[in-house]
Formats: sequence, C-alpha cells, structure tokens
Amino acid sequence: MFRNNYDGDSVTFSPTGRLFQVEYALEAIKQGSVTVGLRSHKYAVLVALKRNADELSSYQKKIIKCDTHMGLSLAGLAPDARVLSNYLRQQCNYSSLVFDRKLSVEKAGSLLSDKAQQNTQSYGGRPYGVGLLVIGYDNSGSHLLEFQPSGNVLELYGSSIGARSQGAKTYLERVLDDFLEIDNVEELIKVGVEALKQSLKDEDLTTQNLSIAFVGHDKSFTQLDGDAVSPYL
Amino acid sequence: MNHDPFAWGRPDDATYGRYNEKIAYASNQPTTNTTQPIVTGTSVLAMKYKGGVVIAADNLASYGSLLRFNGIERLIKVGQNTVVGVSGDVSDMQHIERLLEEIETDNNYDNTYSESFEQLQPSYVFKYLSAVMYSRRSKMNPLWNAIIVAGVENGAPFMRYVNLLGVTYTSPTLATGFGAHLANPLMRRVVDREEDVANTTREAAVETIKNCMKVLYYRDARSAKSYSLAVIDCETGVSLEHGIEVDNMVWGFAKDIKGYGTQKV
Amino acid sequence: MTSIGTGYDLSNSVFSPDGRNFQVEYAVKAVENGATSVGIKCDDGVVFAVEKIISSKLLVPKRNVKIQTIDRHIGCVYSGLIPDGRYLVNRGREEASNFKKLYTKPIPVSALADRISQYVQAYTLYNSVRPFGISAIIGGIDEDGSHLYMVEPSGTCWGYKGAATGKGRQAAKAELEKLFDRSTDGLSVKDAIKEAARVIYIAHEDNKEKDFELEISWCSATETNGLHKFVPENLLEEAIEYAKEQLEGYEEGDSDDEAASSDEEPATGDADGDVAME
Repeated sequence: MFRNNYDGDSVTFSPTGRLFQVEYALEAIKQGSVTVGLRSHKYAVLVALKRNADELSSYQKKIIKCDTHMGLSLAGLAPDARVLSNYLRQQCNYSSLVFDRKLSVEKAGSLLSDKAQQNTQSYGGRPYGVGLLVIGYDNSGSHLLEFQPSGNVLELYGSSIGARSQGAKTYLERVLDDFLEIDNVEELIKVGVEALKQSLKDEDLTTQNLSIAFVGHDKSFTQLDGDAVSPYL
Repeated sequence: MNHDPFAWGRPDDATYGRYNEKIAYASNQPTTNTTQPIVTGTSVLAMKYKGGVVIAADNLASYGSLLRFNGIERLIKVGQNTVVGVSGDVSDMQHIERLLEEIETDNNYDNTYSESFEQLQPSYVFKYLSAVMYSRRSKMNPLWNAIIVAGVENGAPFMRYVNLLGVTYTSPTLATGFGAHLANPLMRRVVDREEDVANTTREAAVETIKNCMKVLYYRDARSAKSYSLAVIDCETGVSLEHGIEVDNMVWGFAKDIKGYGTQKV
Repeated sequence: MTSIGTGYDLSNSVFSPDGRNFQVEYAVKAVENGATSVGIKCDDGVVFAVEKIISSKLLVPKRNVKIQTIDRHIGCVYSGLIPDGRYLVNRGREEASNFKKLYTKPIPVSALADRISQYVQAYTLYNSVRPFGISAIIGGIDEDGSHLYMVEPSGTCWGYKGAATGKGRQAAKAELEKLFDRSTDGLSVKDAIKEAARVIYIAHEDNKEKDFELEISWCSATETNGLHKFVPENLLEEAIEYAKEQLEGYEEGDSDDEAASSDEEPATGDADGDVAME
C-alpha cells in the first residue's frame, strides 16, 4: 500500500518541495467550526459559530479580545489559539508600555507569522493547528487579517475559515462592493451573519451558538454573546 | 556543630545552611556604576508657540570646567516631526543617539504606513526614552542626562522632559540645567500658561529662545557662543539650523567689574 | 533522481551514496514553485521586482507586501516559502544591527550576503532542522557602490548583474541576459524599473490564467538617497504600462523564446499547497 514517507515531521521536504505536516495543520482548521470576518472602511466585524461537546456542556469560546483595538476569532485547536492570543496580548501591552502606541494590525500579523514559522522549521514540535481571523482598528483604519499555521498572513476585505467556510467566502466575494461602503456597524454585522449562514449545514443560529465582535473608528473592541446577539438572528 | 575534620567547630550546614563564601570575599567598597557625568553638555531650552515648538542647545561639550569639545550636536532629529535635545553626559547622549537610530530603523520594517499613519510620533519617542531612563535608574545605573523631546503631533505642539531619575513633566516652556533657573523666567514672560501658546507666533518664540541663549552665554560658564536651533512646525515640519552664533553682545560693562580674577582692585 | 525512495532523502544532512543532499534539492523545488522574483543591478543602484499572485478577489490590493528592507540601505526579495524568507530577513536585520553596534557604520552588502548565506548553509548540516525553502535576492548600496547577490537553499551565494528565481526564472533569466547585452553603456535605475516590470510580465506568461499584482522597490544613490524604498505610485504605473506594451510586441515577435521555459517541471501541489507557497 502507498505510504507517504515525507509527512512524519515538519523538517522533511517532499520530493516536490512540500511540507506535509504544515499542510495537515491547515486541514486542522477545517475541523473547527466556521467563523467569518469582514471589514468596511470604518469597521471590522467577526462572526462565529460556537460548538458544544454535548447537550449539557457549555459552548467553546470562538472570539478572544487582545487589546481595546484588536481581537481575533479562531477555527481549529482552541488551546493553540490561546497561546497565540496571549502572545498578541503581551505584544500589545509591550507596545503601549514602551512606546505609548497601539500595536498596528500589520505588525501584529508579522509577529504572528514569525512565531508560527518557527514551528515549521525545527524537529520535535508541530505547527500550530489553528487558523485565526484578526480584526483591529489602528492609525491607518480598520483591518482584517487571516492567519494560517504555515506562517502565511494575508490582509483581506473579508474572509472565512473553518468547516464549510467556502460558502461564506463565495457570498462575501459576491457582496464585496456593497459592504466596503457600509458605515453603520449593525449593517456590517448583518452581512457577516448572512455570510455565516451560507456555511451552516443543519444547525440553526441561536443566542447560544452565535458570537459576534466588532471594532471601529468610534468603537473599541466589543464582543456580543447570548441575548445581545438576538437582534441579528 | 560540624564534625568534618576540615570544618571542625564551624556551624553545621544541615542546621544553618551553607556558608555564603561571597561574604568572606566581598570587596571593601560597594559596587558603583556612574556616580557623576564626565564630559557634559549644558542647558537645552524649548518653548511652544501657536502651531509648533522651538528648541535649542549649544554646541559645546565640557570636561569639568574645561571647554573641551566644540561642534557637538545635541539636537537629534527622529522621524519626520520630532527633535530630541539632550544635556548632561555626552557619552550617554551618544548611546541615546544610537537607541533612537535603532527605533527609527525598526519602525521602517514591515510597515507600509511608515511615512504616514504609522510614522514615529514625539509621544512614542518620549515614552520610549522615559522607559529607558527609568529602567536604567532602577538598575542603579542611570544615563546621566536631562532630555527634552519636542515635536508636533495631531496638529498640536508636543513637549516633555525626562531626566536621569526617570522623572517626567511638561509645561509650555521647558529648560534643563542652568537654563531652568535663567531661561525659564524669561521664556515665561512670553508664554506663562498653556493659553498663551495660541497668542505666540513662531517669530516671537524664536526671538525669545535666541535671547535666552544669549543670556545663558553671558552667565553660564559652561556655555558656548555657537548653538543649534530647531523649529518643529505643524505646517512646515522640522527645520534644524546648526552653528548659529550669539550676536549683538555688549561687553562694555566688563571693564567695570572688579574683585574677580587677577586685576588689581 | 534515481535514489528517491531509497531512504537517503528522508532526513536533512544525509548524503546519498552518489554524494547528493536530497533535502536541499527538495527545498529548491519549493523555490521553483514560488512566485517569480527578479533583481537588477545598475551603476547607481539596484531594483527589485516580484510577482504577487492574486489568489482571491477578497485580498486587499497593494497590501500583503513581499519585498522587505534590511537596515535602511539593503533590500531583499525571495521566492519559495514566504514565512521562511521573513525569518531569514529577521536574521539579516539582527546581523545588520549587530554590525552597526560594533563598527558604528552600516553593514556592507557583501558582508550581509556572506553572513546570511552562512546561516542558510548551517540549516543544511543538521537533521533537527530543514533547509530554507527560499532563494533570496539581496542587494543595496554601500560605500563601494551597488551590489546584488542571490542566496540559495544550499547556502550558495553568487553576485549578479541580474538575478531571477521562482517559477518563471528561466524566461526571466533569458530576458535579463538580453537586457544586459543590449545596454552596453550602462542602465539607469529608472530604466531598470521598467525593465524589471517587463521581465516579470514575460515570466508570468506561462501562468497566464492567474491574475497578479506587481511590486517594485529600489535603492539608489541618486534617486532614493541610498535608502531602500518602494517606487512611487506614478513610476510603478509607468513601468506596468511599458511592460504591457512590450509584452504585445513580445507575443507577436519571438515565440521561439517561450520554448526555453517549456521544459520546466509541471506545477506540483494542490490549491492548498499553492497558498502555502505564496
């Protein structure tokens, strides 16, 4: 039977120059529940579908605040996301303590990228098994980044990661020109929720499983859960 | 008691813990770092006006009372709208110069807005310097300086002081060293409170600073005739002029001063 | 590659019986699948250009910058695993900073290229790491003028007048050779910007179905005061226009040149692999 010899660790290239361990880590993102991020010129929004292990358990947190102007949502291994978000929190603190300066979203992306890369070039570890959508509002306006375990970080107008995220992505591409111009945060959230719906299978959105966060020119990072999300259902 | 024949009669390690050898070998002198500056620069002056800041410092580095080095630049431009003026130890100032160059280089890395939204602002530079000064004093190893950071930020003048103790403060006029005694009262005739800034023109501020530099040259024995003056303006940015000379001095009174030096009274 | 699968290609730092280091060769494959980068050296400076494949229309144009700066006077562009390149550039920045602390002057380009290549070479020596999946073009200005180098995954470092790497390197190299044959009395950085754009456009021909964005930077004594900077918007537009114009002529004219690049390996890796690459 065919057996792939080149996928045992992250220090072995395949004959075609691929790193299978890193590619498998990208697969781990698809095991996680879906999350959507998008931004207009004034606001950035995250919308996420929370999962629970069984009827009696609570729902897994999907959105993590990093600073008053920045936060992220995750798809994949939540513990890995906690490591990365703690790192971002530290860096945000360092920036305000030493420079009295908000960490720019671009810099945050570079820091995440550089941290993840380390796990792909040395033996004994594994790449991070989580994808992140980072939103923030800094001196240059609102931003959305997509982070991958390979260390690739992209800046996008809208994105979606996690199970069946393609549906949301296709929807966002279709309405791209409209949501870029939205200057009302509630409207932007509605677009995000609508995109999220394109990625649902048989679940319904409820106050229990929907998580929303936003940040913008006149709003610091704010997270909505439970009853607060009911207007968007 | 310890019964080891080589340590007989000494307190038992098991009961009293191991003897700390460092105590026996300790030096008679306490550990010291910098306890005084060596080569020094004198006062830095700065004042706000409507739409900007003027800052000045002379070009002399003294070795005690010896006027040792000429042509020393003590105003450091950082980024596009900040000037840092440094008085005190000159070698520490040169260290600070390298730190500032490093943060400026780092700010250009992976920063697409390095020349617009994300350029270095005077408040960032000041926070950084005050963090450095405070951390060094907390290590009992201070950088022996008094620093004024001047610039413009969000269309308004910025000016703040920090010294070797990590103390920081601001005011519409600032001066370090001898200038704090001699120049501040003169500058405050023009800008006494924050409200006066709006009524002060660039020309008036430059004139005031120039006058203060002259007074300091008359009365501060560690000052020099040649100085640098920078104006940081909201509209026109930084203009840094080197080698300006104190002019229109009047020395006629000097012949009447008696009782000092070698002349007969 | 007859020894593939015989076990000598599974670990870094291992020689095969015929004296090859397969993991390094595989790292080169990662480079060969990456987007095309070029560097051109002129008398008064250097120019870098890179092709950025647009994998989604949701990407923000002009962002996701690829070319990086080391110290203030050196630029770097690379093809292959982009995060590896970022790591190498970070190392280069440390070297530049250490050099300046010790010698109180900016690091010469040759010294930096040398240090970086030694670092890359060290990653071929141990089985606890993998080689860098990039070829990096490094260039800039120092007190002896302009310099351009390319560092490969093996740690090899050569100086170049024109360097190209990535998927379209063969077409790009052919164009660069012709360019230097033509410009016997020197090339100005302003012209080199246009030519770099043209080379990237030609190299992209084999990958036509994918859209791309062009990124160009320069470092010149006359134009940028010796600093490495991105070219101004108007010059970039001008260069792209020139490249497109020239491309039309190229398509009609010498079609035999395209045969040169047809012996390239077919692209490997699925869509996901592609993303990881770019």
